[in-house]
Amino acid sequence: MPALTLERLEKRYPGHTAAASVSLSINDGEFVSLVGPSGCGKTTVLRMVAGLIQPTSGRILIDGRDVTGLPANQRKIGLVFQSYALFPHMSVFDNVAFGLRRQGVEGRDLKQRVEEALAGVRLSGYVDRLPRQLSGGQQQRVAVARSIAPRPSILLFDEPLSNLDAALRDEMQIELKRLQRGVGITTLFVTHDQGEAMSMSDRVCVLADGVVQQFGTPEEIYHRPATGFVAGFIGRPNRLSGRLLRPAGQVALVQIENGPRLAVAAAEGIDDGAAVDVVVRQEDIRFAASHDTPGHAIDGRIALRSFIGSRVQYVVALGGIEVIAEAPTNGLHAGLDVGMAVRIAVAPEHVYVNAARALEAA
Amino acid sequence: MNNRRLPGLLLVSPLLLVLLLVFVAPVLLMAPLSLHEYLPGTGVSQQWTLANYTDIVTDEYFREVVLRTLALGFGVTAICLVLGYPLAYYIANAGPTMRLTLTMLVIFPMLLNLVVRSFGWIALLANRGLVNNLLIDVGLIERPIKMMFNLFGLLVGMSHIFLPFMVLMLVPAIQAIPKDVQAAAYTLAASRARVFWSVTLPMSAPGILSGSILVFVLTISALVTPRMLGGPTYKVMATLIYDDFLQTLDWPAGAAMSFVLTGLTLLVIGLSSRVLRRWGGTA
Repeated sequence: MPALTLERLEKRYPGHTAAASVSLSINDGEFVSLVGPSGCGKTTVLRMVAGLIQPTSGRILIDGRDVTGLPANQRKIGLVFQSYALFPHMSVFDNVAFGLRRQGVEGRDLKQRVEEALAGVRLSGYVDRLPRQLSGGQQQRVAVARSIAPRPSILLFDEPLSNLDAALRDEMQIELKRLQRGVGITTLFVTHDQGEAMSMSDRVCVLADGVVQQFGTPEEIYHRPATGFVAGFIGRPNRLSGRLLRPAGQVALVQIENGPRLAVAAAEGIDDGAAVDVVVRQEDIRFAASHDTPGHAIDGRIALRSFIGSRVQYVVALGGIEVIAEAPTNGLHAGLDVGMAVRIAVAPEHVYVNAARALEAA
Repeated sequence: MNNRRLPGLLLVSPLLLVLLLVFVAPVLLMAPLSLHEYLPGTGVSQQWTLANYTDIVTDEYFREVVLRTLALGFGVTAICLVLGYPLAYYIANAGPTMRLTLTMLVIFPMLLNLVVRSFGWIALLANRGLVNNLLIDVGLIERPIKMMFNLFGLLVGMSHIFLPFMVLMLVPAIQAIPKDVQAAAYTLAASRARVFWSVTLPMSAPGILSGSILVFVLTISALVTPRMLGGPTYKVMATLIYDDFLQTLDWPAGAAMSFVLTGLTLLVIGLSSRVLRRWGGTA
């Protein structure tokens, strides 16, 4: 039995739909991310699960029990906010004890459970501090301890790491994941950061305009994006526009506007001559050796080179357009200079086309 | 003098000058005045004495007036808080249109002259006023109840007059409480009442304190309303001071009473800000 099921969950506001028929099923102990650009409805979905927003239609089931009509204080969920939302007038102890006290936990039991929860986030010994005496990262860890302490059936995160600086964020990602594994709690994690979603989750749900684009493992999402939107949102994309061509008896091609032609592996349901949005990931562009078969290789010239550390990023001019391509620092093509002529190639299955529509990915 | 302080000093100097001239100087002049005796018919004696102050403590009449003033201050503050908090809570959580409408309604009475508003209460509370007439007509009472020239009348009238101040101080304090913090308590299985008592109320403490200080200070120093609703006999400190200075011409006694009133005010403000500092950072 899934720990959390969303059945055609909808939230409509006058003039816009925040979530349109969202269906998800999350297994016990699974870590699932809801990812999408801002305004895609991910926070709305999370708040509906928490019971803070009432859905327009659809059902929410926790451990098989319909909780759609239950208020937030009866759902046994834990919610961690982006703003931490600690009680500023209470000590760390009282913050963590708050949910436990509502369950009637008292005395030595209470003390032990609070200390257990704080030890889980490596904050033992901070019980007497007030939230304002802690750093941002520490406050967020108190918030995590507070929501885990009452042993909720589902743990919800609403962009919990967005207020932290980059180094701390990486550290907290690992720490949160380890904690979640240790406790084995079913987790729904909302973020706008695809990298964060990919690295932390068992499965990722990509949301755009309130519609689920794809729900799968990070590998599936990355290697087999279901829609052009997903392809453009996950990884480091080049976004191009062009026209689809279907020469008789040959593979489909896409004629990039002011640029080259690329072979396309999958272009179902798109008519010959239709305008398309094209996504080619930076890391999918291959530098070809000059003796490669000329058939699929495209001639270009290095316009700009940036050293990133683990990789080198090139801006490559291809006729009237430019694309970004990258090569591993320790690879063959790390030392190309600006102005050099290069040949690049993209495998047909790495060219993602989608009937033209403004790609709204961040 | 430090160069950086000069612009600041120049900016405050006009107000500072006015205050020194018309406020600090008269106060300093009044201090020695309060230490002399007033001899009816002759004027202020040359003898130094503490009698004006000791009288306030020892004389039963003065003591009663001081206690009455304090009771009135605490009473009005409590009533304004109890009546004002739910309204402020509603305004703080209402939509923009409703918030504006209600705020305007709260401010509206303040646009009317204080004398008119106090007189309105006379019309309502007098022995032959609206309330008594209604109660007699309905048959609930036979003879009019005394609702003026006593603590009841002053509490009612002044609570009405100072309620807007309390509400206007409370609304921003309640609005400043992050919605997420209340939602967090709610998801941790707290009932609505528990969220209010454990989170909303303590987090609005700074607003409660500043609103209470304001109403308390305004109440114990108010003159017009106690004068009208208390009449010539039911006196508070402010009306007593007024009479000392303008009716009996006992300036030394009035000056002493003024200093006691000022001292009480400062004491209350000092105590409250200590409480506030202990709760510091709660909002």
